[in-house]
Amino acid sequence: VCTSRFWFNYRHVANTLSVYRSVKRLGIPDSHIVLMLADDMACNPRNPKPATVFSHKNMELNVYGDDVEVDYRSYEVTVENFLRVLTGRIPPSTPRSKRLLSDDRSNILIYMTGHGGNGFLKFQDSEEITNVELADAFEQMWQKRRYNELLFIIDTCQGASMYERFYSPNIMALASSQVGEDSLSHQPDLGIGVHLMDRYTFYVLEFLEEIHPASQTNMNDLFQVCPKSLCVSTPGHRTDLFQRDPQKVLITDFFGSVRKVEITSETLSLQRDVAGSESKLPEEELATEPLKYAEQLPVAQIIHQKPKQKDWHPPGGFILGLWALIIMVFFKTYGIKHMKHVF
Amino acid sequence: MAAPLVLVVLAAVTVRAALYRSSLAGFIAERVEVTSPLNAWKRVVEGLALLDLGVSPYSGAIFHETPLIIYLFHFLIEYAELVFMITDVLTAVALYLAIQDFNKVVFKKQKLLIELDKYAPDVAELIQTPMEMHYIPLKVALFYLLNPYTVMSCVAKSTCAINNSVIAFFILATIKGSAFLSAVFLALATYQSLYPLTLFAPALLYLLQRQFIPIKLKSKSFWLYTMQYASLYLCSLVVIICLSFFLLNSWDFIPSVYGFILSVPDLTPNIGLFWYFFAEMFEHFSLFFVCVFQINVFFYTIPLAIKLKEHPMFFMFVQLAIISIFKSYPTVGDVALYMAFLPVWNHLYRFLRNIFILSCVLIFCSFLFPVLWHLWIYAGSANSNFYYAITLTFNIGQILLISDYFYAFLRREYYLTHGLHLTRQDGTEAMLVLK
Repeated sequence: VCTSRFWFNYRHVANTLSVYRSVKRLGIPDSHIVLMLADDMACNPRNPKPATVFSHKNMELNVYGDDVEVDYRSYEVTVENFLRVLTGRIPPSTPRSKRLLSDDRSNILIYMTGHGGNGFLKFQDSEEITNVELADAFEQMWQKRRYNELLFIIDTCQGASMYERFYSPNIMALASSQVGEDSLSHQPDLGIGVHLMDRYTFYVLEFLEEIHPASQTNMNDLFQVCPKSLCVSTPGHRTDLFQRDPQKVLITDFFGSVRKVEITSETLSLQRDVAGSESKLPEEELATEPLKYAEQLPVAQIIHQKPKQKDWHPPGGFILGLWALIIMVFFKTYGIKHMKHVF
Repeated sequence: MAAPLVLVVLAAVTVRAALYRSSLAGFIAERVEVTSPLNAWKRVVEGLALLDLGVSPYSGAIFHETPLIIYLFHFLIEYAELVFMITDVLTAVALYLAIQDFNKVVFKKQKLLIELDKYAPDVAELIQTPMEMHYIPLKVALFYLLNPYTVMSCVAKSTCAINNSVIAFFILATIKGSAFLSAVFLALATYQSLYPLTLFAPALLYLLQRQFIPIKLKSKSFWLYTMQYASLYLCSLVVIICLSFFLLNSWDFIPSVYGFILSVPDLTPNIGLFWYFFAEMFEHFSLFFVCVFQINVFFYTIPLAIKLKEHPMFFMFVQLAIISIFKSYPTVGDVALYMAFLPVWNHLYRFLRNIFILSCVLIFCSFLFPVLWHLWIYAGSANSNFYYAITLTFNIGQILLISDYFYAFLRREYYLTHGLHLTRQDGTEAMLVLK
């Protein structure tokens, strides 16, 4: 989720897209990713290289490309939509790509970036989500069995405040800076004119570049990424709610789509579907001739359609009063002698 | 003079009918310069539909028309286009007859003043002759009917046309001298949109002049006549409002119509001055500034009445212009009404100083309105400041136009009584300045 708009927040979009790319590279398909970008940097009129979003200086890596699937874009990235995606309380007309279709065996990775402060994250420069709201949303998810394990990464100023209030089990959280510290951006690119990435995400990405679907790197290595010497801020993490030992949690459990495959050499026979035979329609009930379109409404009825019946009529007293007044004015102006011409 | 008028009317009706059938009708009906929340046709249809569904049309913030308009369109909604064309034609005919009579009055007054030797000897070229005044009523009708503003307002079916026609009938009744009819029409106009209240003063002055009652504050006949006219006006207004109560059996229409006009809650952009100001204002101050802006409309009546008490028709024209510039939801239909009167003051042409620049400003602004609207709303590369700049420029153009005519009128009056070649005390040539 990228929550910042405006051109000078290019780096937040680049952050999010870079994580998106890594996660796709490690095997998670677009149907399992909900990408929220609050502004369109690639097609922003101020972008000197349109249709691209770069994450490395000297434009080495275009994280935008042809196959980015943004699910929530621009003004759709709001606190309400984000919470609805998490908790699943979405109107029935929402398409599948905009839903988080997770169940109690899903491991969810949530990456958020933007501008934040002590206890809040700013959305779109107009509203905020607080750490309490986020914690409650995660508790709703837990009670609805919408996740098995959840990894929450946040790259904003004072990011650690966002995970202070979590109270649901099986959540691990990482943040780019502690309360009272600012997360800093990495490098400006003089050709584009803005900072391209934030430091924490930059080093997380360097770390992720070495991960491949079969690697056994665990969470403790992720906690070591970006020490204070490189990041200037102190990254933080929280594992007390997590039931497994972080040493044993693989990176690919969250960042990649690695399935456990069991190979069996036995044959299994599947039962025939017994209920299916009862649902066939009896042939006799079908209509003998399907209706043709032209015959469904006789032409005569269409061209002589009466005007719609009006249900409301002005009260009789009003009409009487109005016309009485009009007639009085008429006779006052033109004299009573005209009355005999009327009658 | 009937034949050219009929020709003009036919031409106007053809233009409007052609536009109704073309695809421009939908585009024009959407433009915010032509329709405002007060007089949009969409809202009339919506209100009537709500009424059919059994809901009071004033229950939301959609419908701001008066109950008499509900009654009118309840029966005529299928013939709406015809109704608006007929309204425009009626307005033009009323203006034609009014200006014809007014010319006679002007000419009579001029003759009287010449015979009384009130004019200076060398002003022969300033006196209006019947020859040049012969075509003025036709020009007035032409200006009104074929003005692009009126045509657009008619094609958009904005009820401003109805308001214009009531005001035109009010002017006709005033010029004919019938105080009763003029009070009735003024009450109808005020009932529909509140601002014609300020037209009470010029009408009163005109009727007083017609009855040869001098305007002295101590004169008993002056006060008697004023009281009569005011009571006629107020009684008809009260009667119309009470009658409207009986349409829907509720007083809902008063906050919806008059509350809406006075408190300006809807800040859709239009060609007026209110929307931008109130869009960026803090809640704390909005009541104060609403009062200031509304007082601004009514404020010019008394000073103008004092200055122009001998010339009530010019006062009427200036007052109409002030209403259409400073009202809370102006549209180009209001502008068209006072522009129709410009041919009456053709004789002031030699004294107008900035007429070229002002007409250019007004024309350019009219063309720039849709351009900047498109840039702001559709292209997204401009913002509301651009549109407001054009609104401001348009209104400044209008204000300068009115003040230019005002200056020219007063200058001509001064020359008439003091002679064309003004000299100062030491013999050098003097110049008139409007202070």
